[in-house]
Amino acid sequence: MDNPDADSRWTAARALAGQADAVPALAVALARESMPRVREAIMTALIRIGNPASIEVLLPYLRSQDAGVRAAAIEALQALPEAIAPFMPPLLSDGDSDVRLLATELARNMEASEATHLLCGLIEHEHHPNVCAAAIDVLTEVGTPEALPSLERCAARFASTSFLPFAISVAISRISGEES
Amino acid sequence: MDDSKGGSSNAVHISSEQVQRFCEFLYRRTGMSFAESKRYFIDRRLEDRIAATGSSSFQEYFSLLRTDADQEIEHLINSFTVNETYFYREEHQLRCMTESLLDAMVSQKEPGATLRIWSIPCSTGEEPYSIALWLMENWPQVDNYNIEIVGSDIDTRALKAAAEGVYGDRALMRLSRDIIGRYFGPVTGGNRQIDEGLRNSIAFTRANLIDSEDMMQYRDFDLIFCRNVLIYFDDASRRLAAENLYDCLRPGGYICLGHSESMSRISPLFRVSRFPAAIVYQRPEADHG
Repeated sequence: MDNPDADSRWTAARALAGQADAVPALAVALARESMPRVREAIMTALIRIGNPASIEVLLPYLRSQDAGVRAAAIEALQALPEAIAPFMPPLLSDGDSDVRLLATELARNMEASEATHLLCGLIEHEHHPNVCAAAIDVLTEVGTPEALPSLERCAARFASTSFLPFAISVAISRISGEES
Repeated sequence: MDDSKGGSSNAVHISSEQVQRFCEFLYRRTGMSFAESKRYFIDRRLEDRIAATGSSSFQEYFSLLRTDADQEIEHLINSFTVNETYFYREEHQLRCMTESLLDAMVSQKEPGATLRIWSIPCSTGEEPYSIALWLMENWPQVDNYNIEIVGSDIDTRALKAAAEGVYGDRALMRLSRDIIGRYFGPVTGGNRQIDEGLRNSIAFTRANLIDSEDMMQYRDFDLIFCRNVLIYFDDASRRLAAENLYDCLRPGGYICLGHSESMSRISPLFRVSRFPAAIVYQRPEADHG
């Protein structure tokens, strides 16, 4: 994994896919990899392992300053909707609003009732309108009717903002199946 | 919200909000997109799937769909797509092959060099035979190169049928009488069999797109047709399939996907290449960045 030749690193990463004992080596490799193609293969190898250790390797990249790396981490973590579930509560209460915002996207592939529960828990107390907006966007697709009271309370809390009440009205109509 | 409609049928009513929710999910998950004018088409298929799964409401069905219970994504996609395969399907890609792709490829090859083309999944053979027929009919340089066509599928029964090369009228509906007359002969049951030379010119093999070890035997393809299969995979499998396909292509080689599929939604490994007849994806010649 530390070969100067990118093809060799790519091949090595692909060969480690699914091998749980390779997580530490993949973690080291991911930390120093600059080639997007190889980084992609390392992340795929971690997805194929899909255990809590591989999730823990991927999570810090949600804080990367590089938008491409953050996006790659989100895509990788989204591919593990069941394994990510235990990590969601701390992510959704993270002190960094950017991390909370990205974490809402991880709920998109989760089972609907679980995603609804997590995101409603967030929007009940979230102060940052952009984080709420991101959560509402996900709820619009995956939310169950259990989300409706939380959405209504969120709309009331953010009544003075220009876009959240509208976004929430769309979410409510989609979830309830009634025209807005 | 759910009630009956349509006379004696017990179809579940689906509101326009629910259709919109469904369409957004379908687009994100598969890349398939339908305009509002297709509402009737969408409603009918959704109603059919709701009934087939025994769901009592759109909400219940949508939850089942999102968790892909009983491979419902596959059933749904099948209901929204034309499952049957036939000769010269998505002809614009075949045109792109002979008008643009092959000329770009052979510009880097000596006359007599080998060009490798792969059809995966090839199902019962219509696609690899179409490639062979199209090349013979439309590419003046066809005799100047050693063209290898491989057809692969995970289904060995389909491969057996492909090797036999016997087809009914529906499979041949896009071919001219002239082509049918020159390349097919009558067999029992009103079917036609593609001629022996063509049958022997294509290697049919079993391959699993998401098995990296299995895929290691397939390398150095100049062009891959991989149409309408990635939409069936989940995110993790799609990533793996994209990486496997990358390894199977030679640097600079091209891949053609189905019309609703987009590699840029699946993987950053390939570069979008726009040609007059089609959009295809290219494995870069060299790494950048």
